[in-house]
Order: sequence, then C-alpha cells, then structure tokens
Amino acid sequence: MQLLSILVQRIGYAVALLIAVIIFNFILLSLVPGDIAETLAGEAGGASPEVMEQIRKSYGLDQPFYVQLFNYVTRVLQGDLGTSYYFNVPVTELILERVGPTLLLVTTALLIAIVVGTLLGVIAAQNPNGWFSHLVTILALVGFSAPVFWTAFMLIVLFVSILGILPLTGMVNPTTESGTLKWYLEVAHHLVLPSLSLASVYVAQYSRLARASMMDILGSDYIRTARAKGLSQRKVIYKHGLRNAVIPVITIAGLQFSYIFSGAVVIETVFNWPGLGTLALDAILRSDTPTIMGILFFSALVVIVFNLLTDMACRIADPRIRSSRNA
Amino acid sequence: MADTSSDERTITGDVKVTIEHPFTEFLRMYFKNIAAVLAFICFTVIVLVAILGPLLTDLDPFRIVWMPIAPPGQDGFLLGTDSLGRSIAVQILYGARASLAVGAAAAAITLVIGLLVGSLAGYYRGWVDEALMRVTEFFQVLPPLLLSMVLVGLFSPTLQTVVFAIGVVSWTGVARLARAEFMKIRELEYVKAARSIGSKDARIIWRVILPNALPPLIVTAALTVGAAILFEAALSFLGLSDPNIVSWGKIIGDNRDYFLEAPWTVIFPGLAIFVTVLCINLIGDGLNDAFNPKLRER
Amino acid sequence: MHSALKGLLTACAVAVASTSVAIAEGSPQRGGTLNYINQLIGGHFNTNIASGTPTGLPGVQLHCALLRFDKEWQPQPHLAQSWEISNDGKKVTLNLAQNAKFHDGMPVTSEDVAFSIETIKANHPFKTMYGVVESVDTPDAHTAVLNLSKPHPAILLAMSSQLGSVLPKHVYGGDDVDIRKHPNNGEGTVGCGPFKLTEFKAGDFIIMDRFEDYFIEGRPYLDRIVYRRIAESTSRVIAMEEGQADMYAWASDPIELNRLKRTDHIEMTSDGYEAVGALQWLAFNMEREPFNDVRVRQAIAYAIDKDFILNAIMGGFAQRSAGPIHPGSIFAPEGVNPYNLDLEKANALLDEAGLPRNDDGIRFSAELDIIVNRGTFKRIAEYAKTQLREVGIDVTISVTSDIRAWIKKVSNHDFDMTIDSVFNWGDPVIGVHRTYLSTNIRPGVPWHNTQQYKNADLDALMDQASSETDLESRKALYMQIQKIIVDDAPIAYMVTSPFHTIWNKSRVGNPPIDSIWGTQVPWDNVYIKQ
Repeated sequence: MQLLSILVQRIGYAVALLIAVIIFNFILLSLVPGDIAETLAGEAGGASPEVMEQIRKSYGLDQPFYVQLFNYVTRVLQGDLGTSYYFNVPVTELILERVGPTLLLVTTALLIAIVVGTLLGVIAAQNPNGWFSHLVTILALVGFSAPVFWTAFMLIVLFVSILGILPLTGMVNPTTESGTLKWYLEVAHHLVLPSLSLASVYVAQYSRLARASMMDILGSDYIRTARAKGLSQRKVIYKHGLRNAVIPVITIAGLQFSYIFSGAVVIETVFNWPGLGTLALDAILRSDTPTIMGILFFSALVVIVFNLLTDMACRIADPRIRSSRNA
Repeated sequence: MADTSSDERTITGDVKVTIEHPFTEFLRMYFKNIAAVLAFICFTVIVLVAILGPLLTDLDPFRIVWMPIAPPGQDGFLLGTDSLGRSIAVQILYGARASLAVGAAAAAITLVIGLLVGSLAGYYRGWVDEALMRVTEFFQVLPPLLLSMVLVGLFSPTLQTVVFAIGVVSWTGVARLARAEFMKIRELEYVKAARSIGSKDARIIWRVILPNALPPLIVTAALTVGAAILFEAALSFLGLSDPNIVSWGKIIGDNRDYFLEAPWTVIFPGLAIFVTVLCINLIGDGLNDAFNPKLRER
Repeated sequence: MHSALKGLLTACAVAVASTSVAIAEGSPQRGGTLNYINQLIGGHFNTNIASGTPTGLPGVQLHCALLRFDKEWQPQPHLAQSWEISNDGKKVTLNLAQNAKFHDGMPVTSEDVAFSIETIKANHPFKTMYGVVESVDTPDAHTAVLNLSKPHPAILLAMSSQLGSVLPKHVYGGDDVDIRKHPNNGEGTVGCGPFKLTEFKAGDFIIMDRFEDYFIEGRPYLDRIVYRRIAESTSRVIAMEEGQADMYAWASDPIELNRLKRTDHIEMTSDGYEAVGALQWLAFNMEREPFNDVRVRQAIAYAIDKDFILNAIMGGFAQRSAGPIHPGSIFAPEGVNPYNLDLEKANALLDEAGLPRNDDGIRFSAELDIIVNRGTFKRIAEYAKTQLREVGIDVTISVTSDIRAWIKKVSNHDFDMTIDSVFNWGDPVIGVHRTYLSTNIRPGVPWHNTQQYKNADLDALMDQASSETDLESRKALYMQIQKIIVDDAPIAYMVTSPFHTIWNKSRVGNPPIDSIWGTQVPWDNVYIKQ
C-alpha cells in the first residue's frame, strides 16, 4: 500500500521532470543561430530570400517564441516529436528504430558489469589481502582510468586485427533475414566487442563497490549471527552476503544509467552500432534540431523510467529502505 | 560512496602512544601507500612535461614533418606520424597541456557548482534543499555526454565551450556528496554551539562546516579531474573539440578513421590519457586512505 | 524492445540480394533486381523544386526529362524527340514523343511540359535556368514552344533530368496548389520515368519497379531497383565488398574508396560527375583587410600545396582544380595560373603588401571557417593552418559544428576565409556566374557571391556569356573570364570533390557512367548480368 503511494508520487514527479526537460530542450535549441530555412536552403543548393521566408512560415518559425514553445510542449506530450530536418522522417519513428540496438547494447553491458563486477568483488572480499583481491583492485583502477573508446580500440586490435574472430562494425549483416536463428547469432556475434568495451568501465566500479559492501557485511552482526548458527562460510557468503552486496550495485547502476547511456554514444561510434548514439552524433553534426531535441527527451525518459524501476526493485529487495523517501 | 566523515575517525590497529598532528598522520598514511606515492611522482612529471615541454622545444604540433601515417621508429619519428604527416610524439607533448588544463578547469567548475548547490541544500534544508535537489535531479536525467555534445555543438567548439560543457553536466555527484556531508555535520555539537553564539550562516557554512567536510571533497576533487580529462577525450574523439588546440583526445579523434592502417595514431595518445588518469585515481585512492585510516587497516 | 527492432529488420529484409553470380558479357538482359546504396536519401522526388542529388537520383528514375546528354555534352533526344531553336535564339520548339504515358496511364502532353517549366521557374533554386522563359505555348498535344526574352546558352542543358522533370499536371491539379507540400512529391509519386514507385520509407529505402508502358520500347531492363540508405561508412564498404549491394554512387570518402579499390569484383570511376562539377576551395572575404589586397590572396594560394591535398588528404581520388569551372567541363580552364606551391613567392607577396613579420614571425592573424569539423574539410583546414603558419599567417580554425551557423556567418559576410564545396551544375550560366557576379551579392543567402567580389569588366563579360550561344565564342569568353578570376583570386582553387560511382562488375551491366550527369539519368539501360 505504502509502496503504491510512493509509486504514484514518483510517477507524478517524473512527468513534471519530463516537462521541464522538454522546455529546457526547446529553449536551449532555440539559442542556435540560424534556422531550418538555412539548413534546407543548404541542402537544396541555395534558395532565394522569398523561398526561405516561405519555408520559415511553413515550419511555424514566424510565430512568437512562446507560441512555438507551447506548440512544441503540447505536441511532445502527444507523442509527436516533429519531423527530422535531415532524414525527413518523423523523429519518433527514427528513435524507435534506433532505440532497440542501444537498449540491447546498454543492458547487455550493464548485465555483464553487474554480474562480473559483483562476483569479482564478493570473491575478493573473502580474502582482502590475497592476490586475487589485489588483482581486482588493479583491474578496477585500470578499467576506470582508460578512455572507453581506447579500451574498445585495444579490444579491436586483439580480437579483430590479431585473432580475427570477431566482426569489426555494424550489428548484423543487412541481407540476413530477421528473426531467423542465423540473425540472432549474428547480432550476438557483433554484440560481443561493443558490450565488453562498454562494460569494462562498470565492471571496474562495481567490483570495488561490491568488495567494499561485502566486507562491511562480513563484519556485521547479522552475518556473525548466521555464522554462529553454524552455517558454512560458502552458504553465508552466497546466500546472505551476495544479496546484500548486489543491492548497492543495482542502486548505483540505476543512478548511473544516464552515464552508461553516454558511454554508449562513444561505443556506438567506434563500432558503427546503429543506435541512438550514432543518431545523436549525426543529428548534432548536421544541426537536425528536432532530432536532437527528440533524443534528449527520449533519453531523459528512459533514464527516469529506469531510475523508477531500480528504485522500486531495491525497495522490494530490501525492506529497510522501503519507507525512506530518498534512497 | 564509503563513509568518510572525519568525526567518526577512530584510532585502531597499531596504537601509537603519542597523538600525532593530523597532518603528519595524513602524510604518514599517504606514504604508506606505495602506489599512491609512485602515482604522485609520475603525475608530477606529467605536469612538468606539460608546462615545460613546449617551452623547451620550438616544435609546432601542427607542422607537417613527414609523410602521412608513417609507422613509429621510422626516420627518427619516435611515435610515427598521423594522417596529415604530423609527429605523434610532438602532438602528445603539446596535447598534455590542453588535456590537463581542460581537466583542471572543468573540474574546478564542477566543484564550485557542486559545492555551492550541495552546501546550501545541506545546510538550509527545507524548501531550499527541495528546490536545489530538483535541479540536481533534472541534470541527472539528461545523459551528460549527450548534453555536453549538444552544448558544444550549439556554441561552437572552443576550449572554453568544452570546459563549460563538461563542468555544467558533471556537478551533480559533487552536490549530492556535499549535501550529505553538510547535513551530517550541521547536527554536530560544535556547529550547534557556533549557531547558539549567533554566528552568521555564511560563517558557519564556510568556516565551520566546510573545513570539516573537506576530506571527502578533496578526494572527490581529485577523481573529478580524472573524469574531466576522460570527458574531454570523449568529446574530442567524437570530433567536438577545438580544431586549433591539440589535445590527446583530438589526436585520437583526428585519426580514428585510419585506426586499422595506423594503430599507433590511436594507441599512444590513448596511453597518455590512461596513464595520467590512472595516476590521478591512484592519488585519489591514497588521499582517501590517508583521510580514513580505519578503511586502510581493513 | 522487440517491436522497435522489428522496424529496423523489415528494412533489412526488403533488400534480398540474389546470390547467383555468373559472369556473362554481351547484350543486355531483361530482369533482375539492382541493389543500390547511398549515404543519403531524399525526403521527396520532385526535382523541380530542389537541386539536391539525393532527390535527383531516384527522382530521375520516376520522372522523365525532356533531354539526355552524352559524354561530350551533346543533347540527345529523350521525351523531346527533336527540337529546334529559332535563328534569333528566342524560340525553342520541342517535339514530344507520341506514346509517352504517366504511371497512371494518362498521356504526357505539352500541357505537362508547360506546367513543369513553370513550377521550376517558380520554385527551383537556380533562377537562371528558365529565368528568360517568358511563356510556353502548346500549339498541339505534342509540341511545346518556349518563348525567351533573349537567347539562353544553357536552355537545353536545363532540360537535363537532374535539373527538372516533366510532372503530371493532372495530378498536381490547378494553379493554387502548394507544390512544395504536394503528396505527389513523395509516396504518391506519379511520373513518366522508366520505374514506378512501389514503396518508399523516408530516410530508409525506396523500391521502384519497372514501368511496363515506358515510352522507350523494351526498356528498362531491370525489374526492380532497391535504393537503400546506409549512413555508416564502414557498413557501406562491407555491403559492397560482400556483394550485398550492387552499386553505390556519390562515394567521396578517400578511406572508403581506397579500401574498395582493392576489392576484385568492384570497379569504380569518377566519370559522370563532370556536369555536377563539385569543387572544394578556399574563399576569401574581399571586403576584409588584408584580404582586400590581391597580393595577400595570391600569397595564400601559393602557400597551399594542392598536390599535398590531392595525394595525402584526397588519397589521389580527386583532380586538381585550377579555376572556377570543373576540369571535366568543356569550358575547363586552360592556361590559368595554377598557383603551384611557392613559399618564397608567397612570402615576397606578403612583404610587398606591407605585412611584415613580428618577433614571433607572425604577419597577421585570420580565421578560417569550416562547415563540419570532420572528414576532408577538417583535414584541409588543418593543413592550410599549418602551411599558412609557414608564411607568417596565424590561422584560427573556426567551427560551428553546425551548417546553419556557418551559412548565417558566411552569407552575411562575417568571415575571413572559408573552405567550401560548390557545384558547377552543368553550365557556367547556372552554377558558376552566381559566385562571381557583383549583382549577386545577397546577404543572408548562401552560395552566392559571398566573397563580395566586384569586377565591372568581369560582370560585362559574364553578361555577354549568358546570352552567347555559339560554342566556340563561349569557350573563348570563359577562358577570358577564368583568367581574370584566377588572377584576382577571390578564391584559392584546390581540388574537385572525389565523387565516385562504384559497382559490382560481375553483376551490373551498363552502369550509368556514360553521360556528364552520371547516375543522375534514367537507368533504363542498366541491366543485371545473369
């Protein structure tokens, strides 16, 4: 019951945040010098002032600022993000087409990071001064200090140039029929390098985090009691410890989702992954304002939803934080 | 983030008979961490190279010296040339300046905004806290790299824009940390005492609470510099950097299309970023341990 | 997520490449699907309102044009089977094919021709194409007569497919229609071209199938053209290498070209880009000091090694360009100063211009604007920066990362120097005069005389050239014009854009490379080797 009211409150709050994002986007992007008429004139190979005036009119740019803002907000709330200047397609369509690959990449990387990171941390915590623990510490530092695109390039050198066992770019061979087993295998094959590169940063962070919280837990009364009750070391760690070590990892992962999304922009560029990141870079370099606004809005939406989900997941997993408001 | 407040500091482990001056203790703890000491030395060398390197040579990093994409070691070009025939080694030498300067400046903006927002929210609480935290959350939902790409794209890529764009999108973590520290410390006895004798808010914030909240913030500051260097590198890599100034990220961004033919154009500048950021992170670790002996002992 | 991925997959599924690759030389065969890829895809196919090549390429398959041009710049019959220009050059009579039909079965008549020329005149960015056409008479259904106010040397070239099509008047309706927003520009397109539109997903793909009632008997050979957009460079290369795509035009990335050049089954050529005539150059703002001094502009031209740009930046895939007109044109500059690399001369000119070096070796500082901070533009800018530093000019590259901001800046003359790519568009009257006429300094409008170049003698010569119809006299005039321009150096000419058409030679017969418009002509002669 209490959970439900918190959920309702959070959703209401998320909607307010989204409206703020829309307004912010609109104001930000209207600061750019020049407008669509100039972009279109550029693509058409030049245009006369009369034609440019016509274009401005047909895109509603001759109206006062607040009218344009109001129109934009209403349209976005109805799910209409406008039409891309560059691709000439509704932005919503463009984003929906690209969001699948990005989510696939990001969630795969995140899963790898959470699973591998937590496991490394938990193992390391059992013997804080052992070689494995030191190795994890070093790995964490390395993963955290290397630029993600550089890690990607190094992995390319190893797996593509030297070993030649993984594909360099793209997501799937364009002629492979979708939905077939071959198609899924190809996507998986292409996914290995991008997701590993992206995960590297977070494996590093999460292993550190898991190690620290595991050490905290191992020293807590709760585990001492469990041990005193005669449970084996292994059982204590994997049954009681793991669950508690993974919660802070998930919490941080939730908070960091927007950062992981950021990393995806770089990784998608390296691997030509057909996701939102490459779309965003394209849109920025070609000053495709509706698409830029659409992507900013959409990524905020994804982050908000994701935060909401992890928040709820943690509240369910850990009764202790169920009641507190700011987890 | 681990619990790093100073008030809970307890002396455990090998008990000393005499009580040390906190700074001596800090130094002793820091120097116990060999990696942190080495990192500090290494980082000092990098900074010196960045400052002095360009002064010692009169090389121009933009100068075309040899044929494009010549491999390292050929004809005296230590690290090879890039896609325009410019020396990678000279570019890395000059790039150090821009990368470190952007890192430091962006980190400074990050810290100033974060500290202001966090301290005011943590100290005043109530509606001030509510309002500032809403702003913080707003910035947290927009993917930082995406937002900074848009900002750099909007205002044309110059060094200043890049610094601004990084600072504006990365302060939220600092703000949250500062807020937590301030909230905790403001309830402590000595703060209450200061308030009861009628000290002004500004004085309490800057003179009483801040010094006590410093240790975790210093550690964060160090890590923020490293993060800002990586951030700049990512922007440059995507082609959103000042074309007139060589930075490590720019060298990689300029040559990434030639990566398969000329991997050295990407490997070496990347290595420079990696080593620098690694040093900074190790220093941060060392600081953290030195401020929190308790954690170190574990 | 699944449904989102699906959208992407349908697009992939559409392009099913046939796997049988048998090399059979000889006569064209009927049948087969041509898989074409492009970096861009247009939002519509109406060539009468926009000059973009991504609009034109599919547009000319769906529509038909009045004339075709061969490799020697000679007009060849198409929808206009014959034509006649009166002695005073003011009346052009076109005799249309009798059997031409639109995709909806309606006949193509002179009314449609008149309507189309009017739409071009009213909407197309190139006003000089039909600017002198006062009226179009339609004495009968298959005769159209253009009445000109004065002779126009490019009137026939303006009838090329890329520059305008014959649109169905009955589909577009009456006079009060907004042609820019008409559905017939996109999904509903009805034309009289060799292919009819089957499916169009903007930004993604176009499927065109053979039009059985095409007015040329037995053509086209292809059953279907699948035009797909692949935005990513490497993916395009892989698609060509692995035979998933048969043809790829407008490729201009030297890295891509270099990689594809080494693939056995692939052939490539820069033929067919003569009419479009894309040049990459460095333009000056002649109203700004010190660029108002011809010696400074010349010095800069001398300081830049065009061969370095050609070889190191363009990978040898471009050509040198010495003047305002593309080297592939019949009016290509001859005997103009090529401004070969000469740093001594550059330094001497700058000294002469009264710009001594200061203690740091700097004479003056200037800004160089570029449109995008990537690719060959960026490389040329960084190279120019380095070279100009050698002669004491401290260049700051200014990037807006944003084409709009660039247009705003340059078209309002708020710049020192800029690197730009400008097209000749067939005839100098259409695409060259605009850059140099002093009457064409129009603030706020891009790709005009943004250099603010003013030369009255030149204006007079260009005016003369715009109504001179004798080829030899025109050639002489353009040699004279180009010599003046190159000496005045409002622009430092560098190279052509390295556009190439690439095709799988074991699959594609008669690739569209045998005309000055290259791929921008109806592909009714192209076939798949079976």
